[in-house]
Amino acid sequence: MEAATVAAKPIARRRGDAVRDFLSRYGLILFLLVLPVYFGVRDISQGKGLVPLANLLVQGVSNGAIWALIAVGYTLVYGIIELINFAHGDNFMIGTFVAFTLYGVLGLGLSTGASGLVLGLLVCLVVSMLACATTNVMIERVAYRPLRNAPKLAPLITAVGFSFILQNVGILWYGSSQFSVPDLIHSQHVLFTVAGVSVHNSDVLAVAVTVPLVVLLTQFINRSRIGKAMRATAQDPEAARLMGINVDTTISFTFLLGGLMAGAASLIYTLYQTTLWYFSGFQAGLIAFTAAVMGGIGNLQGAVLGGLIIGCIQQIADNKIGAQWTAAVVFAYLVMIMVFRPQGLLGEETREAG
Amino acid sequence: MSAQDSGVRPAPAAAGAGADGSILDASGVSKAFGGLVAVSDVDFSIPRRSIVSIIGPNGAGKTTFFNVLTGLYKPTTGTIVFGGRDVTGARPDKITSLGIARTFQNIRLFATMSALENVLVGQHARMRAGLLGSILRPPWVGSEERRVREHGRELLAYVGLEPVAFDELAVNLSYGDQRRVEIARALASEPQLLLLDEPTAGMNPQESATLTDFMETLRDDRGLTILLIEHDMQVVMNVSERITVLDHGEKIAEGLPEDVRRDRRVVEAYLGTQGGS
Amino acid sequence: MSRLGALRESSRANLIVAVVAIGLAALVPFFFAPLSSFMNNAVLALAYVVMALGLNIVVGFAGLLDLGYVAFYAFGSYTVGWLASDFFAYINGGQGVHILAPKLLSSPAGIHVNFLLIAVAAIVICAIVGVLIGLPTLRLRGDYIAIVTLAFGEIIRVFAFFGDDIHLGKHALLTNGRQAISPVDQIDLPLLSQFDSAFSLRPYYWFALAMVALVLFVNFRLRDSRLGRAWIAIREDEVAAASMGVPLVKTKLLAYATGGALGGMAGAFLGTYYNSVNANQFQFGFSIFILAMVILGGLGSIWGVVIGAVALSFINTYLIPSLNDVPDKFGLDFDFTTLSFGIFGFLIVLMMVLRPEGLLPERRRRLELTEGVGAGDEQLFEVRA
Repeated sequence: MEAATVAAKPIARRRGDAVRDFLSRYGLILFLLVLPVYFGVRDISQGKGLVPLANLLVQGVSNGAIWALIAVGYTLVYGIIELINFAHGDNFMIGTFVAFTLYGVLGLGLSTGASGLVLGLLVCLVVSMLACATTNVMIERVAYRPLRNAPKLAPLITAVGFSFILQNVGILWYGSSQFSVPDLIHSQHVLFTVAGVSVHNSDVLAVAVTVPLVVLLTQFINRSRIGKAMRATAQDPEAARLMGINVDTTISFTFLLGGLMAGAASLIYTLYQTTLWYFSGFQAGLIAFTAAVMGGIGNLQGAVLGGLIIGCIQQIADNKIGAQWTAAVVFAYLVMIMVFRPQGLLGEETREAG
Repeated sequence: MSAQDSGVRPAPAAAGAGADGSILDASGVSKAFGGLVAVSDVDFSIPRRSIVSIIGPNGAGKTTFFNVLTGLYKPTTGTIVFGGRDVTGARPDKITSLGIARTFQNIRLFATMSALENVLVGQHARMRAGLLGSILRPPWVGSEERRVREHGRELLAYVGLEPVAFDELAVNLSYGDQRRVEIARALASEPQLLLLDEPTAGMNPQESATLTDFMETLRDDRGLTILLIEHDMQVVMNVSERITVLDHGEKIAEGLPEDVRRDRRVVEAYLGTQGGS
Repeated sequence: MSRLGALRESSRANLIVAVVAIGLAALVPFFFAPLSSFMNNAVLALAYVVMALGLNIVVGFAGLLDLGYVAFYAFGSYTVGWLASDFFAYINGGQGVHILAPKLLSSPAGIHVNFLLIAVAAIVICAIVGVLIGLPTLRLRGDYIAIVTLAFGEIIRVFAFFGDDIHLGKHALLTNGRQAISPVDQIDLPLLSQFDSAFSLRPYYWFALAMVALVLFVNFRLRDSRLGRAWIAIREDEVAAASMGVPLVKTKLLAYATGGALGGMAGAFLGTYYNSVNANQFQFGFSIFILAMVILGGLGSIWGVVIGAVALSFINTYLIPSLNDVPDKFGLDFDFTTLSFGIFGFLIVLMMVLRPEGLLPERRRRLELTEGVGAGDEQLFEVRA
């Protein structure tokens, strides 16, 4: 062709593009820093130092461990079938009810001796995890598998329906009001302080359960055959099928893993919060989903990171803005993530056109 | 039936001719997805009222290039000028309203709409009824609806669809008929440039010949410019006035069919440097 | 296409059915006492029909799964609460502001605007809210849209609940939280005496029926128009729609705005009908309630949604409370009404698994949902909105 060739140059960027890029890359981090920085500065100026903020962050991290575990469930499932398991949060709530029931069954109370307690709680942990895992797999079989080829609306709506069914199982089980459960590990007891920052029993518990589980899970997914099958299916289900991977089983297994994590979270929550409610799953679900998205949906480390961050945001909001507004704050973050950086902190740029 | 008669919003007359009377000029166009470069520094011009083809082995970046031209992707570098107008990075619906229409490699009809309704959607850019107009239906909206339906039927007949099939749901149509409807839908937006992505896929030689005749009719009777992606070499050689060859996202050859056919780089690209396959 | 199918598509047939149905419905109040509970439930059912038809535009036509529809109910109701009560008692030095509304010398305070004007205001406000809610969702895939709209619904609920902590200027609050804004002015139409729910529910019924007629008209007109086709095209295959010249941003926002406006109108009506605007009304379960109506009736099917709305409304007010005897017989102690949303959830699951196209399916939907046709959700790329 004779047409004059123009030297390749980057296309003219509209001014909005530069802003949007900047916001996308750093906006989220800036938004996240706003809360701690603003209140930290305010504290310092009021002569309180950074200790209150540090305390909040410690609380936030241990609280966030719960969200992290639930978020892992969301992210694993989304990674493999690209659908949000809407009933996941309510599954978690069922786990808390199971755990509490087990207190009664095992006769765990405030007077139980230390070794009996540890043993009993381990049993609770295992049973809760199994209960949630089973529920999750059942949801997959009933809601997601039969509708796999339907437009995405269908399984989503079905999962929403399931969420409500689970909530009402909760109501049937323990009624519609909040109720308290025995504080078996004396969660508010301060174990030790570091530079003025207190660490409670509950904080240690949260870390002690979450860290090993996450490490185990990561290793499992990276090393085991099923883990590889999961990653392969997440990348390309058709190719995985052609390689001889049983995609159906792999997907069910993913739901199982997600359920296990939710079950663990539910025990921590029961020991930590000592108040249970049928509606806690709905809220927990949304919060954990925000965490998963913040970290980058499909990314395991991202889910954990997101959980911890959300936990911190919650603590700061609870304390500094007012507990009744915390939910709105968290959801506002969710909206902001969706607008400015849907791939989250650790996710990759989606193959977007522009 | 001309745009003026029907009171439709006509495509901006592609008044500004590009250099050498080309209707479209793409310069230095690249498209990268993260680290993967799908299209690399391609210059491409289409002469007015011509039929040109892009060919290349699988994964050469042909459809990606199409998608850049139609606005589905924003190019990483380069500019695209259509009818003297810079459309680089414009949205797909804007590009359609300016006069570029396309079909898809895997037919993407609105499966549960009828053939006619598909074509009506194709005319979206040439209609004016908005929210209030649709609700209140003043006389001009009513006549607009009648006009686009009439036009739609004409187009469907023009591409060879039987009238009984006009109200048939697209999914119930035969493959060949679906292809026809897709073309009718593309023509519905009154384009000056028509992009066809592997239009003869799944057709036997007879059907392909009919289609190529049709393309020539479109060019001669309606003054359309046509850009094809094709794998069927018969079709390409027969109908193209010029062939461009892409491989690994780069343009490796361009010229008359008989020249391209003999070009060594093209042969290598398709068969590999060892010459075997 | 079958004869029946063709018939259902013809606008003339729809017009006749609509006229007959509405005509018959208009006669219903004469068979029931003016203050009977049936009348109350009928009025609610009609209001829910309007809501469901509004949601149908967003979810059914355009395929955008909006799980925060309660937001429009809230805004519609609060528009009435703000503009037709003595909530802002301090305005105008206690003398109140009255626009086409009677001024009671005994209690003039507050803003009092004629309901018809408020309905218009609610429509406008909710259209804007719809656009604001829709904007962040434009580049998102289906399930993300669900979550984001849900999040918005929750944010709005939080503000409704705790709006009595938010002060606007020196004297006013944002909402009255769970203490409710009450009483609310009743509808006062020219040439007719003001509605009075202590006297007769019939005027409310006919007013609601008029709203239904209007909304049906709007729906039918839209469905067979350029915009309606654009919505359905977006629902089926966004990429192809954009490539055919459908501007995605504008079209989607119009869906949110129109659906929201209708929800707001119904919300305003409910606000004045209940004579109170209480934050407790605006919970997530309500969004599911309306969604269940749309699914039961058939996503995208106008008559189906009407039937679904009426059915579910009556299930909610009649069947569920009457089931409260059952648990006693089993020695269980719970109240079915608290389970109502669980029952809707169950219904949703049942419908999606057994008959996803709904009771009276839009003919397209049946194909989409049962044979996976046109489920053009696989996208290689995010479509540039």
